Amino acid sequence: MNLEKVVFGFFVLLAATLNFGFFLGDPADSAVHNVYELFAAVVVNLIAIALKLGDRTQIGAVQLATSLVASLQLITAALVWAYATGGGDELTPETTASVVSLSGGALFANIVSVVLLVSETISFQRR
Amino acid sequence: MGNPLLIMWRQIFVDPQDGEKADRQVSLPETHEQVATGILLVLQRMRIPVIVLIVIFAVSVLGLSLAPGEDFQGRPARMGLFDSFYFMSFTATTIGFGEIPYPFTTAQRMWVTFSIFLSVIGWAYAVGSLLALMQNRAFRQALARRHFARKLRNMREPFLLLIGYGNASKRVARSLDEMDRRFVVVDGDEDRVAEVDLASYRADTPALLGDVTDTARIVLAGLGYDRCEGVIALAGDEQANLDVAMTTALLRPDLRVIARSNSREVTERMRAFGAPDVVDPLDRFGDHLRILLRSPAAYQLMMWLTSAPRSPLPARRAPLPQGRWVVCGPQHICRELSADLRAEGLEVTAVTEVEPGRGADADQVDTPALDSADIEHAAAVVAASKNDTTNLWLVERTRRTNADAYLVAMQNREVNSPLFTAVGVDFGMIPAEVVEHEVLARLANPLLMQFLSQVPHQDDGWASEMVERLVDRSGTLKPDLWRIQLTAEEAPALTGPLAAGELRLGDVMRSPNDRQRSVDAVPLILLRDGDSVLAPRDEQQLQLDDELLIAGRPSAWSALVATLTYDVTAAYVVDGRIVPSGWMWRRLSRGDARHEDVRQ
Repeated sequence: MNLEKVVFGFFVLLAATLNFGFFLGDPADSAVHNVYELFAAVVVNLIAIALKLGDRTQIGAVQLATSLVASLQLITAALVWAYATGGGDELTPETTASVVSLSGGALFANIVSVVLLVSETISFQRR
Repeated sequence: MGNPLLIMWRQIFVDPQDGEKADRQVSLPETHEQVATGILLVLQRMRIPVIVLIVIFAVSVLGLSLAPGEDFQGRPARMGLFDSFYFMSFTATTIGFGEIPYPFTTAQRMWVTFSIFLSVIGWAYAVGSLLALMQNRAFRQALARRHFARKLRNMREPFLLLIGYGNASKRVARSLDEMDRRFVVVDGDEDRVAEVDLASYRADTPALLGDVTDTARIVLAGLGYDRCEGVIALAGDEQANLDVAMTTALLRPDLRVIARSNSREVTERMRAFGAPDVVDPLDRFGDHLRILLRSPAAYQLMMWLTSAPRSPLPARRAPLPQGRWVVCGPQHICRELSADLRAEGLEVTAVTEVEPGRGADADQVDTPALDSADIEHAAAVVAASKNDTTNLWLVERTRRTNADAYLVAMQNREVNSPLFTAVGVDFGMIPAEVVEHEVLARLANPLLMQFLSQVPHQDDGWASEMVERLVDRSGTLKPDLWRIQLTAEEAPALTGPLAAGELRLGDVMRSPNDRQRSVDAVPLILLRDGDSVLAPRDEQQLQLDDELLIAGRPSAWSALVATLTYDVTAAYVVDGRIVPSGWMWRRLSRGDARHEDVRQ
């Protein structure tokens, strides 16, 4: 067992699950989307980027790209959220929907990341 | 605020892509790979510090947003994630705007205190790792290589690739710089590469640190560029030179190679690849002695024409003594020298050094053999050991027993030359100096070697007259050398007389200012259909497609170019006619062109 692979897989998967958890639920209802979960998703995605730095393999480069996309989407979602709640206002259904849809885009990138991880693992075992 | 962290971030993460894009100009593989390696290394090593920073930041922000706070009225009010993030950002980067949006409660201040120390540790760790990586050898070399590659790309002129930067290389480099030739230096020694920057050449000279036997390194240094016009391999290690000569011959067979060798075996191997110019200072030592034996003036002329630009005329050496010569040195040098000297009709006694065996020091001169060599009655003694101490000892010993003997010594290390002067050597040979002369002879002008190869076959009177003519026309500083091709392209103004075969060299050499005088230049050699005329005279007939090597002052060059290319100047210089330069006057004065006193 390679500890590096464990840590890497852990963070890639955790990024996807947190992202999924935040995305799940009625897109317009702010009550079913916890902002701390969004925060956690941003942090875990950033860590996933750091883990992929300096990897010179082809699959590593694609992994880095997907993480960059996911982080970009999630940070945008967080910015929208921060801007909307800036004056102490409650979230409107419209802004909630836009935050959630942005995180949905990030979720897609995270799923690609997981698929890459799984396919890499499978091809490794076949050898 | 110009945040130094941001600048570092940019240096490390942004530039690599630019570098990769630009390095693709290098035609052979693996070069940009090498450059990228150091940057990837930094990225990999920065993983842990970056993750630590992210985690510390996340924990601080989360904790601050959860800590119980109060608004102005004392009602409970948590900070919210964005405000926490904002606060932690300006706190962690030591900007510190103060407590927002309300004054903090004790619980919040406790958490902030904790976070401040945590973030200081995090930043110290990250910046410390980054600085440590900046000191990393591989990374710095990668940066230096990128810098070098950029300089080389921006260099528009053709350049020479100089391998090794020892004494001989430095001399050659200095002369090349004065000849306005561009060059690039590669050496495996860090101090020597640093010396290139300190040498303050007129032109910007890129220098690359690296193993010269590494093909990728040589390609990066110049073989990968079309503008590279030649390779000069003067490394101290002859195997490295052989390697460079071979690499160049295989990858860029079109390039000219000048390589230094120290032994006959390596010379042979170099010649196996293409047609490199091999310079062997030890071999040339014997040739120099032979030339000097035949004619001190020829030796003086050859040394002068192959010295650095604008060098003063070297003093003419006294003739070497005839008689019995004693040669001391390693076996292969003794063999070469004895053969050279015997070919000049001298009697030679060779004293070879003892082969360095186990336990014995290298370069031990066989003392009994030396005693039996009868130095007391020798006309000259050559100390050709590879060890300067041994040579000094040999010279001193000879001087004590035979004060009249002519003393020749090899000065292996240039710094020792004051010692040799003090001990009273008559003729000292510095290998680096010989290499410099040989390389410059091959680089200065393609025709110069043709001239030099014929000089030793002339007698002393011819050579001293040649020196006098040169000094008379162009002064005691080394003249510039040019090749003139009398083709329709290069000499359009003279095509007519040339084709008619009625042009004499003396007519072309007249000054455009006053045709009674000659320009300040001397023709050294004339080439026609593979035949050559050494030091052609004024009466020499010229034909189309003749080639001339001319030595003289720079002003003579512009005068000659005017004669070759402008009809008006050519008419005056060759025939003494003053032709109007405008079309109108030419029409009007046709038929009665004024003739000056033609051909005295």
